[in-house]
Amino acid sequence: MAITFEQVNFSYGAGTTLANPILHDINITIADHQVTAIIGQTGSGKSTLIQHLNGLLKPTTGQVIVDDLIVTNTTKEKQLTKLRAKVGMVFQFPENQLFANTVLEDVMYGPLNFGYKTDEAKQSAQSALKMVNVAENLWQKSPFELSGGQMRRVAMAGALASNPDIVVMDEPAAGLDPKGQAELLALVSNLKEAGKLVVFISHQMDHVVSVADQVIVMQDGHVAAQGTPADVFNRDIDWFKSVNLDLPRAGQFAEQLRANGVSLSRRPLTLAELATMINEEYEHE
Amino acid sequence: MTKAITINNLTYQYDDQDLFDGFNLSVEAGEWVALVGHNGSGKSTLAKLIVGLIVANGGDIDVFGERLTVDSVNDIRAQIGMVFQNPDNQFVGATVADDVAFGLENIELPSDEMPQRIDEALHTVGMENFKEREPHTLSGGQKQRVALASVLALGPKIIILDEATAMLDPEGRATIMTTLQNLKAQFGAELTLITITHDMDEAALADRIVVINDGRLILDGSPDVVFSKSQTMHDNGLELPFAGELTARLTVKPEKYLDERELIHWLSPSNK
Repeated sequence: MAITFEQVNFSYGAGTTLANPILHDINITIADHQVTAIIGQTGSGKSTLIQHLNGLLKPTTGQVIVDDLIVTNTTKEKQLTKLRAKVGMVFQFPENQLFANTVLEDVMYGPLNFGYKTDEAKQSAQSALKMVNVAENLWQKSPFELSGGQMRRVAMAGALASNPDIVVMDEPAAGLDPKGQAELLALVSNLKEAGKLVVFISHQMDHVVSVADQVIVMQDGHVAAQGTPADVFNRDIDWFKSVNLDLPRAGQFAEQLRANGVSLSRRPLTLAELATMINEEYEHE
Repeated sequence: MTKAITINNLTYQYDDQDLFDGFNLSVEAGEWVALVGHNGSGKSTLAKLIVGLIVANGGDIDVFGERLTVDSVNDIRAQIGMVFQNPDNQFVGATVADDVAFGLENIELPSDEMPQRIDEALHTVGMENFKEREPHTLSGGQKQRVALASVLALGPKIIILDEATAMLDPEGRATIMTTLQNLKAQFGAELTLITITHDMDEAALADRIVVINDGRLILDGSPDVVFSKSQTMHDNGLELPFAGELTARLTVKPEKYLDERELIHWLSPSNK
């Protein structure tokens, strides 16, 4: 169930005088059963990239291969339906897309569209709601009566209800409070344990470090780097400035310590690592 | 000192549940207060109660000495500007300048006075070069600055920002925070600022932080006082700013709460 991009270019309005090239020569492989984070500043092409994962956008040239399905510029809509059954997509602020009268009906909508019978759809919806921790007493309520955090989880359940092998999320933690963010990261880990391939976009490097196996860095529509968080976040600080990204907070703090004459033996990527390194430093004195 | 807002014995029920039950809070004129709490803690509800978007079941809210009632609500709203979370839901004008003009038309400002007010407000938020731009071409942070300008043009005494940075990327968030600091420097005691947030780096900029949970006041004090209560913050679903979280894990700790810059100085060799 891996995903491969081969020489993918994408332009809006391709073939017209208004052609606006967004993605340039993307060659990436996203491994199965792993969590891959896509990072890059606003406008770097992250959202455009992930819209290729379920055929919302088709490459202008090149191909995207998801499992045994090949998507090119000429792929027909019918083929894309197969792809969409494999790929659950959670957009930015997905709570804006809730529409049904009850939470349960909203989550059942996806499975029903993919041809589930009513009782199957209900069962899948219920297990998806449990997975994202939406309490049972809310299932018959209108989604619009819920708090922002609850609405976000209901919308996620909607994408998970048809049990897709691939889950793609565009900034799933944006706007959530610390507890909601922690729950979201736990959900990502659970999805991975359940054998799914997870791709998510994030502006929060700390989230990337805590759950991602692989990181893809986008800049101006190009892949600027790809590797494990340890590889990517140990690059030179000037490189991060050049792609307009921050280090994880612990790394930023360590860089500032360095500028003030405290050199740590390596760059910490998490708070726990940073605290341990500082504590060790002090014990030596 | 003049009180900008006084909330006395407020009660509010939602869905048969007490969200506020005897809540008290007062905000001095010119203060910058960060109202923090996790999602669902009641902080946005409180803001809506203050501007009379929803009505309390009991208790009193006074704004600059005037009691909030059905008769006074319009008067009170004229003194309070609000900026909401979603930058895309707050635009009515075809251009940035039109958008700021919308509020001015509503208060029936003479049209010859409008251009100057619009220019001043856009200048204050650093968006003067975007006057003729269509709002949809702006970034999230720019949109929120225009929303802030629309509110500022009306000359409010109080501005409430309800998670105004929650939907922004790090860069957009940083520009809003800088804009708020400039605003406070420019207007000083003339402007009372209430920022509702769960971002502690944002809360750290305020003069005072009020932590609420389940409609109860949990902590109330300056940032260094509130951030020294790491356990209470964690128990209420909140985090400290990064420096605070780090300090909580150090074996040798500074005596009082230090912000990031102070902590780095404290850890540096020049301090030993």
